[in-house]
Amino acid sequence: MLPVIRALRGNVVDELKYVLAMLLQVLQDALFAAIAAIGFAAISNPPKKAYLLCAIIAAAGHSARYLLMNSSLFEIHIVAASAIAAFIVGTLAVILSPYGKMPAETCLFPSLLPMIPGIYAYKAFGGLMMCLSHGTETEFDHYFYLFASNGLTCLFILLSMVIGGTLPIFFFKNISFQATR
Amino acid sequence: MSSIDQSLSKTSAITECGIKTDTSLKEICLFLSEYSAWLLGSGATSIRLEKNVRRMAESMGCHAEMTILPRHIHMTVFLPDHSDSYTYIIATHPMPLNYDINTQLSRLSWSMADDHLTLKETQEKFEKIIKTPPANKYLVLFLASCANAAFCRLFTGDWAAVGVVFLSTLIGFYLRQVMTAHKVDVRLVFIICAFISSILASTATLFSFGHTPDIAVGTSVLYLVPGIPFLNSFSDLLNGHYICAFGRFVHAVVLTCCLSLGLCGGMLLMNLSMF
Repeated sequence: MLPVIRALRGNVVDELKYVLAMLLQVLQDALFAAIAAIGFAAISNPPKKAYLLCAIIAAAGHSARYLLMNSSLFEIHIVAASAIAAFIVGTLAVILSPYGKMPAETCLFPSLLPMIPGIYAYKAFGGLMMCLSHGTETEFDHYFYLFASNGLTCLFILLSMVIGGTLPIFFFKNISFQATR
Repeated sequence: MSSIDQSLSKTSAITECGIKTDTSLKEICLFLSEYSAWLLGSGATSIRLEKNVRRMAESMGCHAEMTILPRHIHMTVFLPDHSDSYTYIIATHPMPLNYDINTQLSRLSWSMADDHLTLKETQEKFEKIIKTPPANKYLVLFLASCANAAFCRLFTGDWAAVGVVFLSTLIGFYLRQVMTAHKVDVRLVFIICAFISSILASTATLFSFGHTPDIAVGTSVLYLVPGIPFLNSFSDLLNGHYICAFGRFVHAVVLTCCLSLGLCGGMLLMNLSMF
């Protein structure tokens, strides 16, 4: 009996350790996503009230995506995870933006910026360039594959993000188009 | 009963603005065109533009329809009984993204509809709004550099990589601000900034700072990715504004190609490979 209890306790401790480690990772992700959102939002000149909202919304969205993709509970593909996270971002933006008398996009789009698949985008172009400079069929196939896979992933992430993010605007049409009233 | 009320309020609005003469219909159209050129230039989605313009036109007792082309807006303002109309084509206002102006212009459309502002009052407010100064450029520079450094951390770069990315973004973004102020073509700006940033970031590989120099190079150019044009374009696509969506998408893709070109050049020069 005793070894069984011991093993069970060991399991629980392991589980707890895993959850704690995951929580720490998620919090770190949220913090850096918030910094990234503030900075990238600053490039598009938002109203001053929007900075804080963008930071909160982006932190929630990005950490949600991290959790969906990396925790052993979900392990969802990046496209679906982006859509769900963007839906969370969109809902928060629609609910919170009337407090600052701002259109939902003012909070929504800068908050989505940390999730933009920039690396996929330029890797797609890099793959295309490499296609041209490598003549043999196998090399060309390899680089064309890199171009196509990165490009398609980038496109679908963007599409899923925008669909996920703008759906709440249409669900709550009354709030979102009267926020600046 | 309510329909009578509505029609009454509409006629009163009409007499207030004196819309019955030709000149004022022309004035309304010119103002709405100018308004939409600024709203679209500041980075609004086409659905918001349509809603705002229609709201303003209806508050003045007329209707507005428009076509949004990649670089122009084709606006027609007409009386509800179609007895008179005025059409104007305006080029969209080229300006950096500005959500502050976007927000204030959206507020203006509501205050015109709800507070029954006259065209003249609205125009005065509009003139004030478009003179809103942009955010302090040194603050933006600092925040953008922090953001890109945080991005490097998100992509599991170590602290050495974060430092390198911060510096290379600081210099690249400063260059972008200087060149934009000198009205250099935006595509050239993207190529040069990506080139310089990637070369600076590849010093991490050159002097072997930290354990993740490749992440430093990869994230050093991410501050240039045109995220909002991409998002706007897909948002327009979902709303059925296919021409506008395509125009914005091509613009964003061209900018991404320019940034990749600069990055490829930088990596080639430093003898690094992307994959």
